Amino acid sequence: MSTTLVPDILSVEELTMRFGGLLAVDRVSFEVPRGTITALIGPNGAGKTTVFNCITGFYRPTGGAVRLTTHEGREVILNTLKDHNIARAGVARTFQNIRLFAGMTALENLLIAQHGPLHRATGFGIGALLGISGYKAAEAAAIERAAEWLRAIGLIARADDPAGSLPYGDQRRLEIARAMCTGPSLLCLDEPAAGLNPRESDDLARLLLSIRDGTATSAAPTSILLIEHDMGIVMRISDHVVVLDHGKKIAEGPPAAIRQDPHVIAAYLGEAEQE
Amino acid sequence: MAFSAALRDAAKATAIAFGLFVVMVGLRTDVSPTGALFLRTRWTELAMVCALVFAGRLAIGLWVTPRFLTNAGGSLAAPLAKAGAFFGMGLLVVAVVLPAIPGIGRYELDLAILVLTYVMLGWGLNIVVGLAGLLDLGYVAFYAVGAYSYALLAQYFGLSFWVCLPLAGILAAFWGILLGFPVLRLRGDYLAIVTLAFGEIIRIVLLNWVDLTGGPNGISGIPRPTFFGLPFNMSGDPGTFAGFFGLEPSPTHRVVFLYYLILCLALLTNWVTIRIRRQPIGRAWEALREDEVACRALGINVTNTKLTAFALGAMFGGFAGAFFATRQAFISPESFTFIESAIILAIVVLGGLGSQVGVAVAAIVMIGGFELFRDLDEWRMLVFGAAMVIIMVLRPRGLVGSRTPTVALGQKRSIGSDYVSEGRG
Amino acid sequence: MAYALQQLINGVSLGMIYGLIAVGYTMVYGIIGMINFAHGDIFMIGAFVALTAMVMLVSGGLMEGPAAILLVLAISMAFTALYGWTVERIAYRPLRGSFRLAPLISAIGMSIVLQNFVQVSQGARVKPLEPQLPGGIELMREGTFVVQLSYMQMLIIASTLAVLAIFTWLVTKTPLGRAMRACEQDRKMASLLGIDTDRTISLTFVIGASLAAVAGTLYLLRYGVIDFYIGFLAGVKAFTAAVLGGIGSLPGAVLGGLLIGLIETFWSAYFSVQYKDVAAFSILAIVLIFMPTGLLGRQEVEKV
Ligand SMILES: Nc1ncnc2c1ncn2[C@@H]1O[C@H](COP(=O)(O)OP(=O)(O)O)[C@@H](O)[C@H]1O
Ligand SMILES: [Mg+2]
Repeated sequence: MSTTLVPDILSVEELTMRFGGLLAVDRVSFEVPRGTITALIGPNGAGKTTVFNCITGFYRPTGGAVRLTTHEGREVILNTLKDHNIARAGVARTFQNIRLFAGMTALENLLIAQHGPLHRATGFGIGALLGISGYKAAEAAAIERAAEWLRAIGLIARADDPAGSLPYGDQRRLEIARAMCTGPSLLCLDEPAAGLNPRESDDLARLLLSIRDGTATSAAPTSILLIEHDMGIVMRISDHVVVLDHGKKIAEGPPAAIRQDPHVIAAYLGEAEQE
Repeated sequence: MAFSAALRDAAKATAIAFGLFVVMVGLRTDVSPTGALFLRTRWTELAMVCALVFAGRLAIGLWVTPRFLTNAGGSLAAPLAKAGAFFGMGLLVVAVVLPAIPGIGRYELDLAILVLTYVMLGWGLNIVVGLAGLLDLGYVAFYAVGAYSYALLAQYFGLSFWVCLPLAGILAAFWGILLGFPVLRLRGDYLAIVTLAFGEIIRIVLLNWVDLTGGPNGISGIPRPTFFGLPFNMSGDPGTFAGFFGLEPSPTHRVVFLYYLILCLALLTNWVTIRIRRQPIGRAWEALREDEVACRALGINVTNTKLTAFALGAMFGGFAGAFFATRQAFISPESFTFIESAIILAIVVLGGLGSQVGVAVAAIVMIGGFELFRDLDEWRMLVFGAAMVIIMVLRPRGLVGSRTPTVALGQKRSIGSDYVSEGRG
Repeated sequence: MAYALQQLINGVSLGMIYGLIAVGYTMVYGIIGMINFAHGDIFMIGAFVALTAMVMLVSGGLMEGPAAILLVLAISMAFTALYGWTVERIAYRPLRGSFRLAPLISAIGMSIVLQNFVQVSQGARVKPLEPQLPGGIELMREGTFVVQLSYMQMLIIASTLAVLAIFTWLVTKTPLGRAMRACEQDRKMASLLGIDTDRTISLTFVIGASLAAVAGTLYLLRYGVIDFYIGFLAGVKAFTAAVLGGIGSLPGAVLGGLLIGLIETFWSAYFSVQYKDVAAFSILAIVLIFMPTGLLGRQEVEKV
């Protein structure tokens, strides 16, 4: 991986987010190198989710810039876009609290993720109403892609069950598959291992690695930005780690170095003492 | 429940009933010929009401436990959902052959036309409330726009019904977009009050813009629809429907024609809804109802998606309005009050949000039932309101609360109402 | 100038009536998150009870003047509160924790029931009541135009302020108020902490209905004619006021009520009476477009 030739997929520059008097994110800068899993860690309340919300357009940052360089090499300034356009530009995300369409089936969840191309294939609703044929093929392809992801996360047997009826761990993986069905350049995951048992965590780690390497499905390799509390997973799968504390970046580097960083240890010990 | 407990319960209910009714039933103010108010007492009526409450409450306490009541509702759901498709087919067959069924006269057909109008309105609103999860309390405004569009276009430009029908739909959709654009980002109950206000604004404008709309006197002499150019009348000329087909002129021809017209319009609404539901845009509506935030994260333009639902619902309201105008040949703002919106919304909710068959059944039950009780005169609305409360309490998710998936790898299985959200928008 | 001052007085006294009803909407919304559509009709019931009590007292020759009005107010509050309680018990409590639209439809049904119940039991004709507190004080004179603050308007303003003061004390200083606010924040947690949430909600309806009864009584005395249909329009206006002020906010409800009253009065005075409601509704829509949660409503930030 030569960083000089390939531009980073995401670069966050001097990102700042203020809620009234609270400075939740304070001039944070970091990069997500292409083809890596980059972990964003830090104690509770450090501002990790807020960074995500700024990247994905759910919050408008108070200051700073977020730049995405897509698969095709196109550069997009994310912080000026609306949230749905950010998703279309190639940033997909999951939520700390699972947000599946609970009353719709697993398959339907994955089809909604492909709304953009499908909707275009229908001629924005009018063509398909009149039975124009292009849509049939597009839908079949979308279903095939969804099925591929369902197989990848081991949920193909439950494709026709409502998402709300799945066990918690399955819901987590389904949400990741749904994000992947948008065909993103960058996948942002907010605490995907929270609430999983060790075996499920293991499965998840393998899934994330296969998404990064593009071996999960026929989808292209996808860079991942990961918020995670489970240090085991972070240390095992991430290529690059960024540490936040009280809204500031306190360290950045490969996992092995982060493990030894005195600032990081202090931040986590500080948290442990409070608990 | 033990007898003594039931008795105590009934006594308590009676005491409350006494408190409620002692002023409102036991006493009545009337205007004397001099114009002053005087008081009448009606203690016997009061005693009767209280006795009724006592007996009713005692009966409920002794024989019907609340659990039984809720179960009675629950046991109905599964078979209805399962039989939904067959049931729907059956209803359709009956609807198609209805005018030919012996014993179906003009009165019955008129009633059927009324019911079908509400079925169509229910289906139209179902797109907005049931699928997209947007609470619209002013749906009647679009019905009014459609009706007045036709009436005015016919009056001022002499356009025929068949030209005006699409125009009425387009105008209603246009108003839907005009209203929806600024307000659809409002959440939940804020949207509800703005749509309610919009409905009232339209009505007030229709009422007061006398030069254009005739104000409270409304518009009369709206042209009747023709059978593709052949008018219905009793002259028997070759240029009329009866004359052209060599039939004996009869006033029922027009009624039968109107019946099939509204049946077709309603079925068109149904067909479009069912088809769109299986398309990306329809799925996006339902996803929006389930979780708007997730939709945004998946690249769905929430505003546009809501607008399409709003506009499409409005368009069908507009069609129904044009039909209403041509059927009545007379319209006035009185037909477009809030209570109409409330009834249509009630049909959608009682039927089960998003369920086509449920909405049709609810419309038949509500509007047909309302007509059935016409001998009750002024008590009729009272019974109607009470029925709304009772049905909701027994079946909060409506007749059909389950949802059928739009697509499946294997077999489509309906999804129980516990999982299905009803939206917050 | 004098004309405007007169309109201001009229607008404020009308706005206070709206404000009193709006508080009932906002309280119920705050605590169980539903639009209590029947609240306007509770107001109408309040006016009818007051009418009956008034006729009984005055034509029975038992009492007259301010004392009679106070007694009527008390009677109306008591009986109307019972209606508020019963409506909640029958139509809303069984739907607690159910889907959002079920209680709304149930409330609309209840509104239809109350309206038609009064129509059946009291008749459909309007009921005129002769003025109970005629006269007023002259504030100002400009040419032939006299600005008058009628005794009735003084009564409206004074009793609204008094009732709102008591009410504010009730929700801020008493255990009941604390319980109400706890339920508003988190009903499940409140019940875990030993608050009887059912009772608290019932009391919310009782209080809301008594405030509506005050509004109904004042309306009756001020306008002198009522019928079974007054609840709908007043209810919609008051609901508009509650939303304008920011639904869930008690000061917002009063502020919204005053604004709606003023907008209506001034629009009728300077532009056209027919379109006064259009003016009120349009201003609501415009305010919501720029302040999606109303004037004093809490800004909703969705945490994701
Ligand atoms: N919408 C918001 N409004 C106000 N404060 C917020 C908002 N979102 C997050 N915060 C605050 O920002 C800080 C960082 O929160 P968050 O990003 O969720 O932390 P993390 O995900 O690292 O645990 C917290 O103090 C939180 O309370
Ligand atoms: Mg977080």
